[in-house]
Amino acid sequence: MSKIFPNKGIVNRIVVSKGTYAIFKKEIKGFLTSPNFLLVAALTATIMSWVFPNMLRMFDIQAKSAQFGGAQGPSQALNIHYGLFLRHLSYVNLILIFIVPALTMKLFSEEKKLKTFDLLLTSPVTSAQIVTGKLLAALSAVGVVMLVTLLYPISTRTFAEFSWSTLLVAYLGIFLVAAVYTSMDLFCSSLTESGILAYVLAVILNVFIWFIGMGVDVVDSSLARAIFEHISLNQHLSGMVEGTLRTTGLIYFSSLIFLFGFLAERVVESARWR
Amino acid sequence: MIKVTDLKKLYGQQLAVDHISFEIKKGEVVGFLGPNGAGKSTTMKIITGALAPTSGIAQVGGFDVFENPIEVKKKIGYLPETPPVYSDMYVFDFLNYVAQLKGVESQKLKAQVDMALEKTQLTGVKNRLIHNLSKGFRQRVGIAQALVSDPEILILDEPTVGLDPKQVSEIRHLINQLKGYHTIILSTHILPEVEATCERVIIINKGKIVAQDSLAALTKLRSGREKVFLSVRRSEGVFEGLKQLPFVAQVENSKESYQFEVTIQNQETDVDLLARWVLDHSHGLIEIKPVQSNLEEVFLNLTYGQKTEI
Ligand SMILES: Nc1ncnc2c1ncn2[C@@H]1O[C@H](COP(=O)(O)OP(=O)(O)OP(=O)(O)O)[C@@H](O)[C@H]1O
Ligand SMILES: [Mg+2]
Repeated sequence: MSKIFPNKGIVNRIVVSKGTYAIFKKEIKGFLTSPNFLLVAALTATIMSWVFPNMLRMFDIQAKSAQFGGAQGPSQALNIHYGLFLRHLSYVNLILIFIVPALTMKLFSEEKKLKTFDLLLTSPVTSAQIVTGKLLAALSAVGVVMLVTLLYPISTRTFAEFSWSTLLVAYLGIFLVAAVYTSMDLFCSSLTESGILAYVLAVILNVFIWFIGMGVDVVDSSLARAIFEHISLNQHLSGMVEGTLRTTGLIYFSSLIFLFGFLAERVVESARWR
Repeated sequence: MIKVTDLKKLYGQQLAVDHISFEIKKGEVVGFLGPNGAGKSTTMKIITGALAPTSGIAQVGGFDVFENPIEVKKKIGYLPETPPVYSDMYVFDFLNYVAQLKGVESQKLKAQVDMALEKTQLTGVKNRLIHNLSKGFRQRVGIAQALVSDPEILILDEPTVGLDPKQVSEIRHLINQLKGYHTIILSTHILPEVEATCERVIIINKGKIVAQDSLAALTKLRSGREKVFLSVRRSEGVFEGLKQLPFVAQVENSKESYQFEVTIQNQETDVDLLARWVLDHSHGLIEIKPVQSNLEEVFLNLTYGQKTEI
């Protein structure tokens, strides 16, 4: 890296370095060998194996009644993307709210508790590079769990026709939501020495950011409504479930991810200013 | 190599380092000596870039620690008070990780890790989980991680704390071996450690430097005069007789009546005179030797001595 960017000013500003890669690799290995991660993945699979068949049965009943009663119910209900996958994604979201914090809680708090934080602070990496390495590792771990949940909708392919691209865009949407949680929860971990506290804080923040969108249904003024619609994760996600990618959505998700990444970087840097 | 100018650190209202200045040349081995809470660790953290000073400048190899942190950190291997080890990692993997983090090139990685393992005699446990190692071995892993990037400068905060006597001497031996290859700063409150490993001492007390000099100079610091220990067979009249001698400044009778501590003006020739006087007066000379005012005395005088004066 330093050969490619001989100017140290540039190297300093850059967010990714050899050090970032070293941190990323170490954390990935940490996830793969920790019972915590396996437990999270297994738990997710267990919940999904229980919930998904139920959803499938409900969808089946709906589909049948729609067939018999002609075009009664909303035609959307017949669509597998609305009738099944949207519901599936709302469950995935619910699971994410609780499992992303479990994956991120130790990433910084443990370093502070074990005093290994000094090692990072005295290594030739910037705070931004440290946060990036940890964030990418956490995103990969979250990604693996999400792949587990993706198996369920894919399995319906054996008896139902659906559009691959729509499903994938929907999954990109929920992954972006997960990335927002990850960034936020990593920030929570940077705030405290206690993993438990980081977990609780992260869940609260996740629930808050998800439910803040509910303001849409509560307020009257059209301006406030527009604002709530814009900051609602759900609003942006539902567009993607239909299979449409909107730049506003992408920008909104990425700016949240960046914002909390930046806040975490500030907290890491502030450790030097005790 | 390391230059610190007017360094000050406040933790909130707590003054930890109070306008410290010193310079350390390439290849020197310097000991930071001071009682608990003197500010040794704080000073080290500032030099390594783990902590920002409230005011003052720290420079390493010509770079300001806070303007060019990356350049500075590449040069430094640091062992904090608590060895920064991940208990859920294997010794080898951990050192490999630290080497990568410190920017060791991938071709050199294996050789560097092996070198660090060898120097700290950890090769036998390289495939063990750090969690299962004893405290002393963990401390050694801490030293190994400081060494693994083959840094120009080693900063070791109490490197032998918590080790058994055999390991303490091994670590001191290691530090002595590292002399010449690295510039070394180590902190300690154990005096023999400084005496065993350092060429120069910086004594810190309550955030201030109270003395800094070579070991030899500091030991002589007490005064220009020297003390000798004298032991004779027949002690009648010796005490009074010694007092009369022109080159004797002070005589103290030790517990045993035939032993004396004689303070003389100039050791080189006066010891001869003293010996001749004892022989001439047939007091029966048993032993005559210089009393080293050891570092311990200097240290206590400089640090705790101050307190009693206030
Ligand atoms: N994080 C902190 N917050 C507040 N005060 C601190 C902090 N760290 C150190 N201090 C205070 O700063 C002073 C110097 O501490 P420092 O750890 O540098 O001493 P030391 O010389 O290393 O002592 P020891 O020999 O016990 O390791 C002490 O009075 C200590 O209480
Ligand atoms: Mg200390």
